[in-house]
Formats: sequence, C-alpha cells, structure tokens
Amino acid sequence: MSSDPYHVLGVRRDATQEEIRAAYRKLAKELHPDLNPGDREAGEKFKAVSSAYDLLSDPEKRARFDRGEIDAMGAERPRARYYRDFQSADSQQHQYSSTAGFADFEDVLAELFGGRDRRANFGVRGGDVHYRLTLDFLEAANGTAKRISLPDGTILDVAIPAGTRDGQVLRLRGKGGAGIGGGAPGDALITVAVRPHPFFVRKGDDIEVEIPVTLREAVLGTTIDIPTLTGRVRMQVPRGVNTGMRLRLKGKGILRPDGTRGDQYAIVKIVLPEKSDAELEEFVRRWSGGEDRNLRRHLEGAA
Amino acid sequence: MITTAEFVVRARIDDQTLAHWIAAGWLLPQRTPDPAFSEVDLARAQLIRELKEDFGVNDEGISLVLHLLDQIHGLRRNLQILVEEVRRNRRPITGEL
Repeated sequence: MSSDPYHVLGVRRDATQEEIRAAYRKLAKELHPDLNPGDREAGEKFKAVSSAYDLLSDPEKRARFDRGEIDAMGAERPRARYYRDFQSADSQQHQYSSTAGFADFEDVLAELFGGRDRRANFGVRGGDVHYRLTLDFLEAANGTAKRISLPDGTILDVAIPAGTRDGQVLRLRGKGGAGIGGGAPGDALITVAVRPHPFFVRKGDDIEVEIPVTLREAVLGTTIDIPTLTGRVRMQVPRGVNTGMRLRLKGKGILRPDGTRGDQYAIVKIVLPEKSDAELEEFVRRWSGGEDRNLRRHLEGAA
Repeated sequence: MITTAEFVVRARIDDQTLAHWIAAGWLLPQRTPDPAFSEVDLARAQLIRELKEDFGVNDEGISLVLHLLDQIHGLRRNLQILVEEVRRNRRPITGEL
C-alpha cells in the first residue's frame, strides 16, 4: 500500500478536514479488525489507514507533513491487541461472551452439541474408517468368517457373504471411529479385493473352468473328474466336443442371496500331442473327412 | 490485573469517561472491591473509544455495536469449536488388513 496518506485515504491534497474524516470512516468500517473479525488481512490494511488518518486529522501535523517536515511514518499508532483477538475458541471465556446469537436455533444446537454450547456435551458421530481386505477367490465365492485386527488393535469378526465380488464394500455398522460426547460411532467400510484363481474364472454368478482334452477324448467322449466351488464332481464329456464348447454343470456356480446358484461351465480345449506324432500324421493324411473344408471363408474378401 | 489508574492511561480516556462506560454496562471490571481490569477490558475500551471518536457512533449506537459484536464472537467461537471437532473426527483413515 502507498505510504502517501492522501493516497491511502483516497482524498485530494486540498480536502477539507470533514472530507478526510468521511473518507476515513468509510474505509475503517470495512477494515477495522473488530468490525471484521473474520478478515485476517484487515489488521494490516487498517493500520495503514488509521496511520494516515492520525496524520491528516491533526491540522498541525498535516501542515508539517505538507511542508515536508515529517514523513508519513511519523504518526503510526501502536496497537497491541484488538478486542477480537480475545475471542478465539482456545481463549478463555470472559464476562462479555454471549450466546444470544443461538437463542432461536437452540433445538438444532441441542442435537449437535447435546446441550447448549459446552464442549464437553458435544454429540458428534464418529468418522467412517476405510480398510482394504484381500480375499482368496474361494473365500469370496463361498463366503467365510474372517477375524481381522485393526491398526488400533481392535479385533473384528467379519462375515464375508458368499459371492462377495472384487471391489465390493462391506459396511460394519458402529465399527468406525468412536463418537464424541455420546455421539454414535462411525462405520468401518471394507473394500474387498479378490485374488484371481488358477483356474476358476467368475462371470457374474457363473463359474468357468477350461478343461483340456485329448483328441481321442474329444472325438470319442469320456468321463472326467472336474473341480467345482464345492468339491470335485464326475462329468460326462460327450462324443464329438470341440474347442470352445461350453458344457454346463447346473447349479454349481455362485450362491445367490435368494438361495439359488449360478452354473459352472466347463470350456473344452482340445490339446494335440506336444511332439509331432508319426502315427497321427499318417492317420490324418489318410483321413478323407479332413479334406475340402474351408474354415476361413469368413476371413476372405473384405481386405 | 490492571488498576484504574493504569487503565485510564493505557486506554487514553479520563476517569469520568471510564465511570460513564462502566455505568453504561460497556465495561464490566472485577470488583475486589476496587475495580480491576483485564487485557480484554483494555482492548474493548480501545474499541469503544475508536467507535466514538473515529466513527462518531453515539451512546445508543455503542451499546448496539457491542451487543452485536459479542453475539458474532459467540457464534464464531462455537463455529470454530464445531469445525475443529468435525475435522478431528471425520478424517478418513485407510489401511490394509
């Protein structure tokens, strides 16, 4: 801010004393710290304005300043503390403290504070606490009970419902931060991450498992032993299955909240011998059914 | 505590003015039995003097300004306490289990 007192007050050099006082009052109303308790910058600006006014409001000082005998800093008024500085929440209540501003919404405050305005009677609900919990695929799919220890040492028994999904949030009511002054505790919000399984893949409420079969098994059919969420089962692979074919095991999927279950699908994958097999080559060469099928017709033409 | 003699000097008022302000209820010194003043009283007296001299507020206006200011401070004080409580208890905590 400029140090020229006329500039600070925004008045001409030939302003009358009355004009100077009017200009000061207008500025001071906006800048006086006690009239603007929430404006932290008000103090500095007000100091400049009141210093300028101190100089110009005294005709003798003003005349000396105009003649260049004293500078603008000659009249700064020392001020230790404003009245507002005694009003913060940390400071002592004093005889002027007033709660009259609350009179008309006492009910709201009673709810918030559990009383009038006493710190000890606050009833604030505790905060929600967020955690991440990583589960094995089968724990999440079948449900389980987990005993977990929170960072503050609290032990929680958490029932993981069957069919819990990756990214799902479990809410444990009342297990969050403690409430203040009789307020209800917050909730614990547990975001679940599910580790992938070596061979089970979840698709909605269904489970998919890829089952490799030999050429012979695919052509002639077979019975295989296959894992499900709830243990191994025997399964018929009919004759003539092909890679990508989905064989359904009804009711072997994820348990739904209504008690029904999704299905499991066994997805056939034909696997030829790893090494070239002379006998197989000889057979295929002689196999007339292997001729003249164009499986790639849909890839032709366009490009 | 501040004695009456020291108070009038630091507040830059005279004894008669002080008696008038106390009678008006603007200042509430402790009586032990002589009046004893605190730093709060001093800051309040400086505010009153500025309101009267610099702002030209009359006596009825002073009572009104002080009444409203003390209400504002009461509201700000409780708002500050509330905000601090909320901040302290609402900070989200995250952790890996």
